[in-house]
Amino acid sequence: MRKSIHFPMAEAMTKHGSMAHRTGRIVCRMMLYFLIVGTSLAADGDSALPGNHPLTLSQAGDLLIVELRCAACHSGIERGTLSEKLAPDLSQAGARISPEYLKQFIAAPSSAHPGTKMPDMFPGTPEDETQSIAEALTHFLVAQSNQEFQSEIPPDDSMHLGKTLYHSVGCVACHGPREAIGESPLVNRADAEVEDEDKKGDEKKVIKPTAVSLEHLSTKYGLKSLSEFLFQPLRVRPSGRMPDMKLTPSESLAVACYLIGNHPKRQTALQPQDSMVSLGKKYFQELNCAACHSLNNIPAAPLGSSLRNADLSRGCLSKAVGKSPKFLLHEDQIRAIKASLTSEPKVETDTVVLAKTLTAFNCIGCHIRDDFGGVPEQYNPYFATSEQKLGDDGRIPPPLTLVGAKLQSTWMKKVLFDGESVRHYMTTRMPQFGTANLSHLPKVFAQLDVLTPPDWTIPSPESDSESVRQREKLLRPAGRELLGDKGLNCIACHNFNGKPAPVNKGIDLMTTFQRIQPGWFNSFVRNPGSYRPRIVMPTAWPNGVAAHKTILDGNTDLQIQAIWYYLSLGTSAADPPGIRNISTRLTVGNTARTFRGRSRVAGFRGIAIGLPEKWNYAFNAETGTLSAIWRGDFISVNWNGQGSGDFNPASEPILLAQDVSFTTLADEDSPWPLMPVMTKDARVNPNPLYPKNLGYQFRGYSFGQSSIPTLMYQCGTLEIEDRSEAIEQRGLKRVIQFDSPTPQTIWFRGLTGDIRNLTEYVFQAGRLQVTVPKVQTKIRGFSDEPKRSELLLRLELPQGKSNLELIYEPLEK
Amino acid sequence: MSRLRSSHFLRLVLLVLIVTAGLSAVRAEEVGDRWGTEEREREFYPIVNIPLPPDTVIEAGAFAVLPDQRVAVGTRHGEIYLIDGIDGAKPNPSFHLFATGLDEIFGLTWKDNAFRVTQSCEVTRVIDTDKDGVADRFETISDAWGYANYHEYAFGSKLDAEGNQYVALGLSESYYSHALNRGFIMKISPEGKSTAFASGLRSPGGIGFDEHGSLFYVESQGPWNCSCSLKAVLPNSFHGHPASFEWYKFASELGPVPETPKSGTRIVTERKHVKQLVPYAVIFPYVRMGRSITAFTVNMTRGKFGPFENQMFLGDYTLSILMRSTTEQVNGVWQGACYPFREGLSTGIVNVEFTPEGKLLCGGTNRGWPVRGIKPFALERVDWSGKMPFEINRITIEPDGFKLTFTKPADLATGNSPDSYLVSAFTHPYHGGYGGPEVDRFKSDVKKVSLAKDGLSANIVLDKLTQGFVYEFDLVSLRSRDGDELLHRNAYYTVNEIPPP
Repeated sequence: MRKSIHFPMAEAMTKHGSMAHRTGRIVCRMMLYFLIVGTSLAADGDSALPGNHPLTLSQAGDLLIVELRCAACHSGIERGTLSEKLAPDLSQAGARISPEYLKQFIAAPSSAHPGTKMPDMFPGTPEDETQSIAEALTHFLVAQSNQEFQSEIPPDDSMHLGKTLYHSVGCVACHGPREAIGESPLVNRADAEVEDEDKKGDEKKVIKPTAVSLEHLSTKYGLKSLSEFLFQPLRVRPSGRMPDMKLTPSESLAVACYLIGNHPKRQTALQPQDSMVSLGKKYFQELNCAACHSLNNIPAAPLGSSLRNADLSRGCLSKAVGKSPKFLLHEDQIRAIKASLTSEPKVETDTVVLAKTLTAFNCIGCHIRDDFGGVPEQYNPYFATSEQKLGDDGRIPPPLTLVGAKLQSTWMKKVLFDGESVRHYMTTRMPQFGTANLSHLPKVFAQLDVLTPPDWTIPSPESDSESVRQREKLLRPAGRELLGDKGLNCIACHNFNGKPAPVNKGIDLMTTFQRIQPGWFNSFVRNPGSYRPRIVMPTAWPNGVAAHKTILDGNTDLQIQAIWYYLSLGTSAADPPGIRNISTRLTVGNTARTFRGRSRVAGFRGIAIGLPEKWNYAFNAETGTLSAIWRGDFISVNWNGQGSGDFNPASEPILLAQDVSFTTLADEDSPWPLMPVMTKDARVNPNPLYPKNLGYQFRGYSFGQSSIPTLMYQCGTLEIEDRSEAIEQRGLKRVIQFDSPTPQTIWFRGLTGDIRNLTEYVFQAGRLQVTVPKVQTKIRGFSDEPKRSELLLRLELPQGKSNLELIYEPLEK
Repeated sequence: MSRLRSSHFLRLVLLVLIVTAGLSAVRAEEVGDRWGTEEREREFYPIVNIPLPPDTVIEAGAFAVLPDQRVAVGTRHGEIYLIDGIDGAKPNPSFHLFATGLDEIFGLTWKDNAFRVTQSCEVTRVIDTDKDGVADRFETISDAWGYANYHEYAFGSKLDAEGNQYVALGLSESYYSHALNRGFIMKISPEGKSTAFASGLRSPGGIGFDEHGSLFYVESQGPWNCSCSLKAVLPNSFHGHPASFEWYKFASELGPVPETPKSGTRIVTERKHVKQLVPYAVIFPYVRMGRSITAFTVNMTRGKFGPFENQMFLGDYTLSILMRSTTEQVNGVWQGACYPFREGLSTGIVNVEFTPEGKLLCGGTNRGWPVRGIKPFALERVDWSGKMPFEINRITIEPDGFKLTFTKPADLATGNSPDSYLVSAFTHPYHGGYGGPEVDRFKSDVKKVSLAKDGLSANIVLDKLTQGFVYEFDLVSLRSRDGDELLHRNAYYTVNEIPPP
């Protein structure tokens, strides 16, 4: 009866290939599903474990004991550095997992989920009794959840994104591809799982890929619960063997849709019955489920017999049917566990701890370290990049060989625990395994990997030693020049402080000093190819001889030091030559756009307004004046360096005077009140209250239902609203609305420059023609500028509201 | 003991370097050494990156928490985003663009269903009148200052109990006062009336209130300021840089122009005759405690952020670090201490704010000035892990020494030993030169230590206390009862006044 549990899996697999004739072998191979890392040809390490790992038989056994959590029930097991693989948190299992699946899984775990590490708890128990215990346990578990299980049909529109994500972010490394993507061929998983029988004659090391089955997901999860699990897997499975792939909620949902597929089995919620719940609780205690699953503080039974010197022909590992839980293990695995338990206890060296860690978490599924690990050939096409020209280093996760000597410890922790990443072009994401699970790793790497640091000291310009200051003066500009486009042109292929490189958008150089150790830097840049045979990064010092002879007299050591020193300065140093500060171009779409900032065309309190008709104008809010008009694109804004958003018209503007526009004049010969002028010699504003001392105050702007702002300001007691809109190709129509508490006279300066009357109410100055309403106008000259005059409008305003309408028509050049 | 000596030696070397730096004609732009505590800090206060929308630049300049618990961020690009879900364990917040086109936002608060935005040009009420989620009305509340140089930044406070807002106005090019009211703090009443409130600013950062509602602002190192500092703002107070005296003629509310301070003296002597001069409340020793402090917020999270309730948390732009500060009023004068808190943030910190869940949100940019952080811009959240670090919690002054409280009980042996409390003191010149050295340093002998029975506080008696000095504590050998060394061994207390016995 028990053996029958294998067949549904075999059938499932035949869907992926005509493998029926190999069923026996599949069953055998399937047992390796027990391991998170799935199955592979063990190239150098022991065959008890999958993956291209370096572990010996007894070390593999050590790891199996950790992964299967033997110490949950047995004494006599020494705790190593590696954290045990904990069983899932069951507190919300009823909400997360379909009750039907739960029952099937409890009754026969390997049948419901081939490859699970959950043992069969009922070997030798009659089938009907097993079923009723499983049902009671299901009621108990469902009753522990405060939410009901929900089953939804995945929406079709997320499937494609889910498929793309699944095959690009790194799921494939552990679970294998599910279908062909683009040019990536579908790897037949079942094929992949068959051992390579012709290994002897094959010189090339073939890494057999891992493929932990996900076939059970569509019956196990609802869309919501799978999506939530994928978003934060460590909440339910804190041991990190299923890592956080940095999916967002919407990405998690898409992957969940894809994994559940179009036709999930309709699952229904279960209403737990009290009698079954209490019965289930009894079984939970009797079966000592609490040994592995902590739930509601139900205590675990005391530890059982010691495994040291135990008779391993009996108990969990034996083939005989007894009371012990049954782990379906491969012969090799049993052999490994036995080897571990019978070998003399040894002190775990850093090398062993590291090997076990990289194997348990399947780091070796993506990364090479020394002679183990690496992306299997079959999965290689699923590692992609947005920067194809970076070659394989742009898409395959970097080697871990010497990584402890490469990365600064602080940075390694950011990568391992904080989700930091500098390879923005790599579609595969560095998974997050949880700080608690890998907290030992940075130290182990650091102790194992040592590169002699160069005899460099960072020179300080503040040093009290003249020679150090001289060295600093030498190295800083040299480093800058070497990085720049007239030197080694590193910036052609490396981004620089967020500014994209023109050729390949490689790792941002600004990160170098904080990520990399000097010893690695010194060694790596001399000959990148010796670390990565197919790297596209050239050496600038072939055979130790500098290619660039003029900088620092072609001294290789000094050049490398200079680059390191320059990179150490971060944003303190000027950008290398060739890095261009590009202004941000703001464009106008279907609606108008308003932007505040200082500008030569509108003063420090400037406002730029762009209309969809491609007319743009600027308003100086400090003086209440329309100050510039231009046609075409809107503005470019300077947010480089300390630039705080000053803007420039994107095409040549027509400039108007920026003095206050409205004022009361004592008489019509009184001079117009002009803006105070500051010079290099007299920089303090001589009239700092201007134009507030004329009664002017800016009040803001409002959009109402339009995207064009109505500018609001006041002149004395006069409230003014000012709005300009496009008249198709002609120009701007400006409507100024007044609200006056009393009748009053006010002057408006409409135009300055070399003014010509075209008609009684149409004036031209330079490239601008202005049409004014039928009011009293006056053109008067400036005594000191014979060619310049100003057009004044005398406005007799009634009490209450009144309007002034002006047409501005720029003329062709 | 040899370890102590070598550390003391390093300090002397550092001191020499700092002195040299101050005198050096060409100013260097290095960002300085690290505390070296980053890897230990992360166990207690992990940093969580807040993912930003793709292709969106968010250089945070100011934050505000809305009544609906969303967090608003005002940016240097003049935009306001409303962030929903910033507190998630694995944050994936949504960003809603509420307003655009403003001019460099360094002040943001929410009042009467509208934002009050402090931008370089003015304080503006930003309203969504039709409730469609996008601002449609921008009303000028105050623009009572000149603005004629890009470096003339304006920093706005939150509102006080009466609804007044305070705006700190930086100098022209950070040295001069060419435009109206540059170097003043303006008070803006609820009705929008603007009056001058204080003078003598140089290059301010954030301005706001401590846990008691008293007003403080952050000042940067430069002329008349040898270090960055936290300054207590009182009506008509003068904060050390005389450039803004130009504008007293337009600000009768400030009273008479203060006597011009004499360069090359000490602030403790100058404050005796420049009666409006308020001494720096908390001096942040240059480089060791930041190079460009930008803003602060007060931890009133009721324990959600750990042991440092009612303390100020400050960001530093250059070093991408966070620090703590505590203040107290002695003989009517504000003073207090500063403490290292967290290093290793990813960008230059321009502003900080506690989230609704009591996490510390930090943001900024690394452009324009030297910054240690390697990201052009970032939003990061500092969470309390729930683990208790062993830290100096707070230092307060006593007539004959100081009282130090700890976050965990100190052990009896080291806690009661005067050798565990290395105390030295220094002061700065008060002068018009840029920055300046730490001078007149002396070692202060600890005569007596009394560790409280619970181990959570210690009173130390010094051979003498001197006004106008920064007392520097190094508690390298102190251990907690569970054997921890201090996460940060240093703290710095600025003594302006000594309480009467």
